[in-house]
Amino acid sequence: MHASSPHRILIGKAGLDGHDRGAKYVAHILRDAGLEVIYTGIRRTPEELVAVALQEDVAAIGISLLSGAHFTVVSRVIELLKENDATDILVFLGGIVPESDIPRLREMGVACVFGPGISARVIVETLLDAIEKTPHSSL
Amino acid sequence: MTISLETLVGQARGNDAVATRAAAKLMSVLENEPQRLPEFLRAAGAETPQPRLILGITGAPGAGKSTFSDALIGEYRRRAPAQKIGVIAVDPSSPFSGGAVLGDRVRMMRHATDPHVFVRSLASRGQLGGLTLGVKGVLRVMGLIGADVVLIETLGVGQSEVDVARVADIVMVLLSPGQGDSVQLLKAGLMEVGDIIVINKADRAGADELHRQVLGALKLQQGTAKRSVALVSSTEKSGFEELLNRIEDHGALHPQRRRENDIGDIREAILEAARRRIIVRLKTEPTLHAALERVARGGEDAESLVQLLLKDGDAPST
Repeated sequence: MHASSPHRILIGKAGLDGHDRGAKYVAHILRDAGLEVIYTGIRRTPEELVAVALQEDVAAIGISLLSGAHFTVVSRVIELLKENDATDILVFLGGIVPESDIPRLREMGVACVFGPGISARVIVETLLDAIEKTPHSSL
Repeated sequence: MTISLETLVGQARGNDAVATRAAAKLMSVLENEPQRLPEFLRAAGAETPQPRLILGITGAPGAGKSTFSDALIGEYRRRAPAQKIGVIAVDPSSPFSGGAVLGDRVRMMRHATDPHVFVRSLASRGQLGGLTLGVKGVLRVMGLIGADVVLIETLGVGQSEVDVARVADIVMVLLSPGQGDSVQLLKAGLMEVGDIIVINKADRAGADELHRQVLGALKLQQGTAKRSVALVSSTEKSGFEELLNRIEDHGALHPQRRRENDIGDIREAILEAARRRIIVRLKTEPTLHAALERVARGGEDAESLVQLLLKDGDAPST
């Protein structure tokens, strides 16, 4: 059973909005898909998210954002991952992100963006697929 | 892809950006493959320190374990600012999906960017004994990176969780007001594991009465184990100075006991390695599988199968 240990995923909210229903929903569906979710709660800074991701050895960081601060938050998170030699940790977003911003976010290194109304199945499949495709230094 | 444990051990001992990452990866290896503990010990060397003090924290859901851990970390950081502190927070895995939501960190986030605090969340993964061994591995890595005190937080509801608490030098059982009457205190289990019974949420109504009930219940207990009772409020951070004094007075297990535990860990690692190999062999070798079926139908004794498994050990690596 240990040939495939569950992937570990960090889920947190960055910025000042406190609406965590989406983040909790995603935590729940990932748990039901057999993944281990480290949940950090609301109003986290990029520094906190990356520090937790490193200590917990996660495969991906999922950030829920409704405040419109996605460029600021994402660029800082990715910068910190680079500083820590941890660019194999995926970054994905959920929440309210305008369609027109997605290409630039992907260019910055965001693996996937999940907007409102997307199905649980699609989230799990897209995320697992992205993790599988990432050259991973984990064992 | 397998990274050598030696490389990771070397990186984890450093002070640069990759040190945290390497320590975290070592923890993952020893969580996923706890039978590799001896390999880690060889890579790290005999002089690698272990944490000076290991504190187990257990209690029912909602007793306030994570908030208590947060306050305890704060008190240790205040008292010994140069020392590192580790936290291992165990939450249950779903018996259906195998997944888990590990949420203990939410209450400890003020320490997230403190380089002197290393928090690792573990899912219980429904392992028989394996969880305990995995926790021991993570503890060794905590020692490697210089953690002085390590807190192990578990849900005090299952045998494996109670076992994890027993890994500690001192076990604290958290109780909080409003969780049942004094008859609950008589029931077997929780109260018996604790060296210190901590009444949490002292700021709430009913805490004093619970305190009296616990003292009364302890008087009824026979035997020599000395248990003490502490009253704290984790949200108001009161009572922690006295609690810390008591913890430090109590101190670590006797070095002899620790040495015995170390040998026990290796025994567990060897059993785990053997168990994994046997499972693979029973699944993949047709003759063994056929023998298994004969035993299941009552046509044969299991002893010959055991003999066969013990005799030739050239198993595929896991």
